[in-house]
Amino acid sequence: MSRFVCSLLVVLLVFGMLAGCSPAATTQQPAEPAKPEQPQQVTLKVWDILVSPTEDEVAKQLIAEFEAAHPGVKVERETMTFDQMKSRAKLGLSAADGPDVAQINQGYSDMGALVAANLLVDLTPYAKKYGWDKKLSPGIVARNSFTPDGKTMGEGNLYGVPITAELVGVFYNKEYFEKAGVSVPKTFGEFEAALEKIKSAGIVPINYGSLDGFVHIHVFAEIQNLKIDRAYLDDFIYGRNNVSFNIPANVEAAAKMQEWVKKGYFTPDFAGIGYDDSVAAFRSGGGAMMITGSWISGDTIAQAPGKFGFFLMPPLQEGGKRMSTGGTSTAFAIRKGTANEELAAQYIDWMVSDRAAQLWAEKGVVPVGKVEVQNADPLFMDLLKAWAYLNENDLVGHYLDWATPTFYDTIVASFAELMALKITPEEFVQKVEADYAAYLKSRNQ
Amino acid sequence: MDRSSFNRSAYLYLLPALAIYGIFVLFPILQTIYYSLTDWNGLTAPTFLGLQNYLNLFQDAVFINALLNNLAFIFFYSVLAIVLGMFFAVLLTSAPLRGMTFYRAGLFFPQVMASVVIGMVWRWIYHPQYGALNQVLRAVGLGAWARPWLGDFDWALTAVGIVGTWAQYGFCMVLFLAGIQNISSALYDAARIDGAGMFQQFWYITLPGLRNQLLVALISTLIAAIRIFDLVFVTTRGGPGYATLVAGMYLYRNAFVINRVGYAAAIAVLLTILILIISYFILRLQRTQEEESFA
Repeated sequence: MSRFVCSLLVVLLVFGMLAGCSPAATTQQPAEPAKPEQPQQVTLKVWDILVSPTEDEVAKQLIAEFEAAHPGVKVERETMTFDQMKSRAKLGLSAADGPDVAQINQGYSDMGALVAANLLVDLTPYAKKYGWDKKLSPGIVARNSFTPDGKTMGEGNLYGVPITAELVGVFYNKEYFEKAGVSVPKTFGEFEAALEKIKSAGIVPINYGSLDGFVHIHVFAEIQNLKIDRAYLDDFIYGRNNVSFNIPANVEAAAKMQEWVKKGYFTPDFAGIGYDDSVAAFRSGGGAMMITGSWISGDTIAQAPGKFGFFLMPPLQEGGKRMSTGGTSTAFAIRKGTANEELAAQYIDWMVSDRAAQLWAEKGVVPVGKVEVQNADPLFMDLLKAWAYLNENDLVGHYLDWATPTFYDTIVASFAELMALKITPEEFVQKVEADYAAYLKSRNQ
Repeated sequence: MDRSSFNRSAYLYLLPALAIYGIFVLFPILQTIYYSLTDWNGLTAPTFLGLQNYLNLFQDAVFINALLNNLAFIFFYSVLAIVLGMFFAVLLTSAPLRGMTFYRAGLFFPQVMASVVIGMVWRWIYHPQYGALNQVLRAVGLGAWARPWLGDFDWALTAVGIVGTWAQYGFCMVLFLAGIQNISSALYDAARIDGAGMFQQFWYITLPGLRNQLLVALISTLIAAIRIFDLVFVTTRGGPGYATLVAGMYLYRNAFVINRVGYAAAIAVLLTILILIISYFILRLQRTQEEESFA
C-alpha cells in the first residue's frame, strides 16, 4: 500500500508542477502591487485590427494623445489580424472582463450575430452627441446599423463607427496612357474606346489575376453600378422587398465581362495569377489599368511615386451619377455592460476626429472624415477626391458578397465559370440568384 | 508484492496522460459529435436538429463534388506516391551508388518541408507568365501546352494533385528503403542463380517482402488524401469554381467563414467515420495476410 501512496504522491507532484508552470507561461504582465494612492486610474481595454506598420503607428500616436488629454486613463490596446478578431470577438465580448472597445466586422455573421446576442451598445445617442452622423453619409450609417434583434441590417440602431475608407475604382499607369494617347475617360463609352486603343498599342488594357477569386466581384460591380440604382442595391444587400439577382442589368454586366475576355482586354492566363502577384505586376508595368480597391495605394505610392493615378468608373453619360463599390474599415463598437461606456465613446470620437483624419492622410490612407491635404502624391489626391465625392453624394456602393453568408463562395465559383466562357451570362445570373433566393427563403421562414 | 496494488498504481501512472488525452482529444471529439446534431453559429445557443445536418449533406451537391475530389486526390496522394516511392527505393538499393546518402536525402527533402511552403513554391512554378513549368514548355517549343495550371478547370485538380504526390512520395520511399534493407540478400542471390531478372526479383522478392510497409504507406497516405486541406488552401482555395474543392476546405469555410458550425461538425464526423472504415479494412487485409503466411 505504501507503494500506492508513493505513486499518488508522484502523480500529484507532476500535476503540481504542471499547475505551477502554467500561470507563469501564460501571464503576460508582471504582477504589480496595487497602487492605492491612485484610485482614479481607469483602464480602457481596446481590441483593434490596426496591425500594419502604418496603421499601428497612427493608432499609437492617437492613443498617446488620448491618454495625455484624459489624465488617469490608461489604454490597454491589443491588436490582432482581421481573421483573429473574427474568431476572438465573440468570446471576448461576452466575457465580463472583455474589451471595452472592439473593432468589429460589419455584416450578419459578425456585427449582426453580436447584436442578436445583445453584446453591443447602441451608439445612436453618441452619434448625435459627437456629430458622427455628419461625418458619415447615410449609406455608411446604414451599413453599421441593425435592428436590435440583429436580424435586419441597414436600419435600426448604429452599432459601430468606422475610421478609414476604401473605395474601388480604376488605377491607371500614366506612362501607358500617354503612350497609347488616352486620357482619363469621362463616359463608359470613352472607357471602352480607351481599352481598344491601349490594346492596339500593344499594352495589356486591364491588369488582372483571378486565382484568388474575389477580383471578379470588383470588376463586375463597377460595371453593374452603372446600370442600377441605390434602392435596388440596398434592397439586394439588406434582403428587403424580395428583389432578384436575375435582372437585365446584371446579365448585361456579366456579358460585358465575357466580351472583354473575348477581346483580350485582360492579362492573358489571368485565371492562374494570384492577387498579390497581379498587384506587383501592375506596379511594375504589367498593364495600363487595374480595377481594384484603394488598399493598394500606400505601397504603390511608396514604390512608384507619381506614376499612377485613380478614377472612378465613368458613368454612362457624362456627369451622370452612379455608385461605386466602397466601404470603410471595420467598425469600432462598445461592449454592452462595460463600466466605461462614456469613456469608450470618447475614445471612438478620438479615432474619427479631424486630428485622426490628418494623421491617416499623412500616411496615405483615406480617412472617413473630410480632410484638407496639400502636397500629397497625385494618386492619393485622386483617391481623396473620389471618396469625398462618393461620401457627400451618398454613392458608396456595397460589396456584393455581403448579400448572404454563402454569397462569396457562390459568386466567386460562378465567376470562374463565366470568365472561362464555360457558362453564359444568363446561366451565371441564374446560379447566383439560386443562392440568393434560397437565403431569402430561409430568412423568411 | 501484492499484485492488485501493483495494477492499481499502474493505472495511477496513466492518469496524467489519460487526463490530457481526455481533455484535448476525447472531449473535443464528443463535443464535435454533439454539435454535428445541432444548428449552431458558434455564438448563440445551439438548437438540436437530430440527423438533419447529415441528411442535408447527402443532398449538398457541393459537398458530394468535394468528396469526389478527395477520391481523385487518393490517386495522387496514395497510388502515385507509392508507385514513385517504390521506384526510387528500388533504384537506390539496386546497385551501390556513389553519393547514395545525397540522393536519398534529396529525394526525401519535399517530405520535411512545411506544406504551406510547398504550396507557395508550386504556385510560383505554376505561374502562367514567369512560372518555371510554362517557361520550360515554351523553351522546348511546347508553348501550346502552357496554360494557367491552377486556374484551368480541366487541369487544376491534376496540378494540385501532383504537388501532393511530390510531397508524399518521400515518406513512402523511406519506408520502402528500410523494408528492402530488411530483406535477406540470400533470397536475391538464390533468385539470380535461378536466372531471375531484375523485374522478376522485384515481383517475387521485393514486393512480397514489403507487404507490411505497403500497408502502412497505404493507410497514412489515404488518411492524408481524405484530410487534405493545407495544399488546396494555399494553392487554389478550392477554385476555379469548385474544381479543387475538398471536404476539408468545405468544412473550414462552413465553420470559420460562414458560421455554420453544426454543419461543419457533421462533415468532420463523416470524414472521421470514412477514415476509420478505410483503416479498418486495410488493417483487416493485413491480418488475413499474416494468418495466411503463418498457415
